[in-house]
Formats: sequence, C-alpha cells, structure tokens
Amino acid sequence: MKKIAWLVLLGVILIVAAAGCRPYTFHGTVMQNPSGAPDFELMSNTGQKVALDDFRGKLVVLYFGYTFCPDVCPATLVEIAGAMDILGEDAKKVQTIMISVDPLRDTPEALGEYVAHFDPSFLGVTGTEEEVAQLATLYGVFYEKHEGTAATGYLIDHTATVMVIDENGDLKLILPFGTTAAEIAEDLEHMLP
Amino acid sequence: MKRLLLYGFYTLMIVVVGGAFAFKVFQPVQVLPRVRLAPGFSMINENGERLTNEDLRGQFTLYSFTYTRCDDPTCLALDETMLVIQDQLAALDLGDIPVSMVTITVDPEYDTPEILLAHAESVGADPDYWQFATIADPSLLKYVVGGGFETYYEHMDDGRIRLDPAFVLVDGWGIIRGEYRYQTLSSDSDRIIRHMGVLAEEVQNSVGSASIAYEAAHYFLCYAP
Repeated sequence: MKKIAWLVLLGVILIVAAAGCRPYTFHGTVMQNPSGAPDFELMSNTGQKVALDDFRGKLVVLYFGYTFCPDVCPATLVEIAGAMDILGEDAKKVQTIMISVDPLRDTPEALGEYVAHFDPSFLGVTGTEEEVAQLATLYGVFYEKHEGTAATGYLIDHTATVMVIDENGDLKLILPFGTTAAEIAEDLEHMLP
Repeated sequence: MKRLLLYGFYTLMIVVVGGAFAFKVFQPVQVLPRVRLAPGFSMINENGERLTNEDLRGQFTLYSFTYTRCDDPTCLALDETMLVIQDQLAALDLGDIPVSMVTITVDPEYDTPEILLAHAESVGADPDYWQFATIADPSLLKYVVGGGFETYYEHMDDGRIRLDPAFVLVDGWGIIRGEYRYQTLSSDSDRIIRHMGVLAEEVQNSVGSASIAYEAAHYFLCYAP
C-alpha cells in the first residue's frame, strides 16, 4: 500500500516537473534561423557614428521613428523605457536605438533631447535620406511623408514594430506595436546574454 | 526513497529526450521556416494606386518578379504559374486569411501603370487577387528586389534585363516563409499552394497551448518539404 502511495507521489512529481518544462512563449515573433541583422553606421546623438557591430555582446532594441511623431513613437518608447526600469541592472546589457525616418528635421541634437526624455541610455541615430531608406527597406519598415497640421508640419506614416537583435548581431524577435513594458521586459530577460 | 527519486529523475529524462527525439523524427507538426523580414516598400500598382508592405500586413502575399518586355520563356512561365495559383485560390481553404499576389516589375521606366494594366489583362490577372507594381526610383527598387527579396536582376547593355526567376511567400507578419528560386516548373504552383495551406494551419492552430507544438516544430526545424 505504502509503495503505491509513493508511486502516485512520483507520478504527481513527474507531471508537475513536465509542466515546469513548458518552454517560454515570447510575446513577439521569434526568428529561428539566425540571420545577421542588416548592419549600419549612422550618426548618433552623441556626435559619434555608431554601427550595429559596436553593440555585439548586448541585446539591441531597434525602433524606427521620428521626433515629431505625435503618438505611436512616444507610446512605444515609453513602453521600452518601462521595460528597462523593470530589468534594473540587467538593462545595462540592452541598448535601445531609434533610427530616425525623418533625417531632414531630426538632427543628432534634436534626437538626443528626444530620446533622453524617455531614457538617458537610449540612442537616436540618423543618416542621409538614402542611407535611412536603404536600411528601412532591409528591416521591412515602410515610411512615407504626408501632410500634417501647421503646428506639426509634415507627418510620417511608418511601420511601428520593435525589433530585438541578439548579442551575436542576429535579428531574433519582432514585437508588434502595443506590446507592454512588462511583456518586453519578460522577453528581453529571456534573451539576455 | 532516494532510489525512487533517482528512478523518477531518469524516467523524466527519458520522457523529455524521447519526446524531443520522437517529435523530430515523426514531425507531428510541420511549419515553414521564418527566413527573414520581407522588405518595406511603397510602390505604384497597375491602377496608379499606392501599394505598401503595410497594406499587405495580416495576409499571405506571394511575390514574383518580371518585366513586361521579357520574351524569355521563363517570364511567361512565371506568369503562368501565378495564374495557376490564382485559379486555385478560390477553392483553397485558408480560413479567413486573405491572400494577395504581387508581381513586381524591374523595368519601371517602361512598365508604367498603363502598360502594367494592359499586361495584367493580357495574362488574365484577377484584380481581386493579383496586382502588378513597381517603384519609379531605380535605386529604391534595387534595395527592395535585390536587397530585401534577394532576387538578382541586372540591366544589360542591349536593353534586356537579366533576371533570376523567383517566387517569395510572405506571411501576415511581413516575414518571408518560402523562397522558390529554381527554374519555374509546373510543380512550383503545387508546392506553393501546399505551403500556403501549411502556413494557414499554423496561423489558425497556434493559439494557447498548441502554440508550443508549433514553436517546437520551428525549434526542431520540422519544415514542410
């Protein structure tokens, strides 16, 4: 009788252990095939050119936006900044970069002021119109100017996904617009080098 | 007690390793690989309307590449394959997932919307499914077709264009899920249609706990042939 009780207990332990083995489910789409994220060398808000390669060993959170963006960009950057708060010390292993899709108006200084408003560790980068167009194409990002108000000037419709590049420079995760800070932090925590 | 726990541990390991092995061998779930991001673009279609990759988000899109002046049998075969697929789409059970077909021409100077519209009509393209489009700026077009879709083309001195035949299947997330790069054979259409079915199954079924099986299929590279 005692033996049966132990076997039942063992069965329960096995079931609980198997449930614990449930793999982590990301909030975005995972790219299984390691493919190098398109590299770039663009002017940052620090006054220095930065390349994607400079951040090998860290996770890179990449976002295409612009400083005159009225809603989508601030909403996304607030969530990423919130994720950095949740990560705490581990946030040092993550570099967030916003690539401007508005190189005409977004000077490095304007970008610096803008991204620092969300998190001082964020980098804003820009380049020539051609450089940005090429890079956006390769990252699957569409953007196009359209008329705004007198106060905002022209506005830019753009893809609002957030991309995460792993410590080896491979594009690994694509997060849709609307992913919360907690969800981003959870995914990043799982990917930390 | 100690021995019993040890047996339990061994049993658990056998279950986990055996399960993973069986999954890889028997492949109860098959998927298409997530190859890379499809390029972002803004094109003009045969009706002179704007067509962007964002317009196609949430649906499966099959791309092909051609130019209307092409008299090579390969170009004709590309259009024929697209036509076969178009004709089968209505009968295909993809749930409520819409499908689009886009043929991108690499000759924007000649292939104006008027020319594209005439070409679309001549090959029997149903405008509900199949669009023809291009980008006027040759360097942007090169980024999209050559860079993003990794499809080689080159303008020759005699005015012809050397073009590698290709079809590219993109999912609703804007991720390339299938590339078909060999010389066009009639079987291409069967394979592409079958792959659309595999993709639709993944989209419809990978919710809740079932998503783990689909992620495992990606992890173990259980790719549909």
